[in-house]
Amino acid sequence: MKECNIVIAGVGGQGVLLTAEILGNSALIEGYDVRVSEIHGMAQRGGSVVCDVRIGKRVYAPTIPDGMADIMLGLEPIETLRYLRFTSSKTLIIMNTRLVKPSSVLMGIAKDLSSHDIIQIINRYYNNTVLIDAMDIAIKAGSPIVQNIVMLGALASTNHLPININTLKESIKQLVSPKYLELNIRAFELGVKAGKAYLSSRH
Amino acid sequence: MGNEAIARGAIEAGVKVVTTYPGTPSSEIADNLSHVAKDAGIYMEYSTNEIVAVEVAAGASLCGVRSLSCMKHVGLNVASDALITLAYTGVRGGFVIVSADDPGCWSSQNEQDNRYYALLANLPCLEPSNSQEAKDWIVYAFDLSEKFELPILFRTTTRISHALAPVKLGSIRERIDHGEFIPEVKRFVMVPDFARVRHVALINKMESVKEISENSSFNKIIRDEGKIGFVTSGASFNYTMEAIDILGIEASVLKIGMIHPFPEQLVKDFIKGFEEVFVVEELEPYIENAVRSSASSLGSVKINGKLNNFLPRNGELSTSIVTRALAKSLGRPLPRNFISDIPFEEIQKSLPPRPPILCPGCPHRATFYAMKKSMKDIQINCTDIGCYALGIQAPLKIGDLLICMGASVGAACGISKVQERPVVAIVGDSTFFHASIPGLINAVYNNHRIILIVLDNYATAMTGFQPHPGTGITGIGTQGKRVIIEEVVKGCGVEHIEVVDPYNVKQTCDALKRAIEYSGPSVVVARQKCSLLATQEKRRQGLKIIPYRVIEDRCTKCLACIKALGCPAINIFNGTVLIDANICTGCSVCAQVCPYKAIEISRDEADEGM
Repeated sequence: MKECNIVIAGVGGQGVLLTAEILGNSALIEGYDVRVSEIHGMAQRGGSVVCDVRIGKRVYAPTIPDGMADIMLGLEPIETLRYLRFTSSKTLIIMNTRLVKPSSVLMGIAKDLSSHDIIQIINRYYNNTVLIDAMDIAIKAGSPIVQNIVMLGALASTNHLPININTLKESIKQLVSPKYLELNIRAFELGVKAGKAYLSSRH
Repeated sequence: MGNEAIARGAIEAGVKVVTTYPGTPSSEIADNLSHVAKDAGIYMEYSTNEIVAVEVAAGASLCGVRSLSCMKHVGLNVASDALITLAYTGVRGGFVIVSADDPGCWSSQNEQDNRYYALLANLPCLEPSNSQEAKDWIVYAFDLSEKFELPILFRTTTRISHALAPVKLGSIRERIDHGEFIPEVKRFVMVPDFARVRHVALINKMESVKEISENSSFNKIIRDEGKIGFVTSGASFNYTMEAIDILGIEASVLKIGMIHPFPEQLVKDFIKGFEEVFVVEELEPYIENAVRSSASSLGSVKINGKLNNFLPRNGELSTSIVTRALAKSLGRPLPRNFISDIPFEEIQKSLPPRPPILCPGCPHRATFYAMKKSMKDIQINCTDIGCYALGIQAPLKIGDLLICMGASVGAACGISKVQERPVVAIVGDSTFFHASIPGLINAVYNNHRIILIVLDNYATAMTGFQPHPGTGITGIGTQGKRVIIEEVVKGCGVEHIEVVDPYNVKQTCDALKRAIEYSGPSVVVARQKCSLLATQEKRRQGLKIIPYRVIEDRCTKCLACIKALGCPAINIFNGTVLIDANICTGCSVCAQVCPYKAIEISRDEADEGM
């Protein structure tokens, strides 16, 4: 593997940073060099959040150059679209189709965009996609709060990560509070299943 | 994280005293040290502001123990008065000041380049390019500080402080816990006669440090090939290495880790023989000017940097920006996969914006709503540094001026003097203690008719809920003496003071009306715990958070709640107004706003909770 660049996009509070940490930690366990960028400061919740994970033999910058993401892990569809400049048509798009409406739409000062519209845009430009409703699956797992882990499971179900599924699980164990471990592992496994089901339905 | 690496490095170096005023992207350094301070036997404090932080740490250092002060770039402006004269007196125990700069203004009001403080104060300055260097170099910085008895500046940027990367730990050195102050009047009492002499001493010391800079491994040739040379440092070094790889060019790279004193001779030797030299750095042409000066005797080397528009003088750099600039300058094609082949700009245009907003149940939202209601929007709102700056977003739109910590109070005084509209200054609790008190005393002394609203949410919330004098909690987690805001206000001579609970809309509106009618400076303290903090505490204590709900029969869909508050917990689903029970904190403000009494506490859950 030359390098694996993963952009994670979502809304503040969805667990973008934790997802990045799990990926970064897993890559370290597997002996890779890793850089993860994180920007925070303005607002704990509700804003647009993006995080870069770069895995390789030797990585310098923590940020992914435009067009060079191998994987876009979108925890929310609008935020997935917001960071497409990091992708190319070859990028694997793993996207949660469940939309979180921005307050600008709720107050009627910005045009609404439906999940359906966004799926169409993604399908128009990308061949490699896994589009699933992580909210439904997270609720099945036990809580809407683990949508990020469901999406991580969906990513793990593809063969695009240079990381073993068991290593990801091990990282979840290391980074998630023991109280919520079972919930997270359940979410991860359901995510893997959903990813596989999506891929086989496409073939 | 780079900041965790710095904290670890300080522990390895045997730091005893750690001081800070929190500010992104520096906060996690001191926060991490705060978490371990008690067990590790380190003294850690959240000081009232950055200059106090530097003075406290300097005092300890003068007694011979190792000290660290951390702050964001603009914090060093506040601390600069102490810093520049401390360079004259020098220190005894190692003293390192971390300045975390923010190119790109990710979470700051400006993107000033603090490398110039190293020049201004004439102090050694190190700049790491990754977490490992951050950890290793901070240890060295303490040694260097002690060797030359000088404070050391340690400059990071957001992409160093907030990047996660692997770090190999070192061993923890023995720490000196107790100091002694040995007077040395000619060195420590900076009256003019002594200061003149100490300035010469500083210049001489820095000549010796320069020899280290010329020969140290901090300033290192990383690649050595081809006819093109690069001089770079910090985060820019990483972009440079990647750009060279992407374009596949043969080049030599000199990484500057000790950016002051600048290794002139090393640079001169490095650039000799190159046809072209590229200086890659963020913000100002700091290294570029030094390189141009070093190259002035060399003749025909072409130097590219900010001054010939090779790179922009504003914002953050990136691998993309450096690669594009380099390809253009060298006349090379960009590799095909480098710019997205997706029409992303077109797609982005159709996206609704998602700016950061106040959290569900935020008490600031309640205060702002009361301000709009009681003051009828005729007032001028001077806002300040903190979460409440997010009040500028619709629908609240509170905030006409924001400059720096505490500026709202001083600026309000001036505005009140020359025009008729009421003027409000809005500060948070931590900002009140940090920089608002001199402004308030000024308002009393000169009788400026301003209304100061102190939003007291029991935390320095925006930077991560650090404690402050108004909480009484110390940096090592013990309960100390709480400083009461309204008592300070009274002590400043303010005669009209009211304390309100912003979740009580009527009480807050009435108090604001009285404040606006008062003929001199007035203060309203709006006190209610940060909703994130309150929610966390309730969860920890196993208490139930009881959300509110919309009674569908009564809701006329007038959307008054959404239009007045913009609380993220209130949504519209298929034309119905709903409160998201997962994020509603039960603050009750929307229920007080609804003209049709269509919002109520979720009764079933309330009963269950009892």
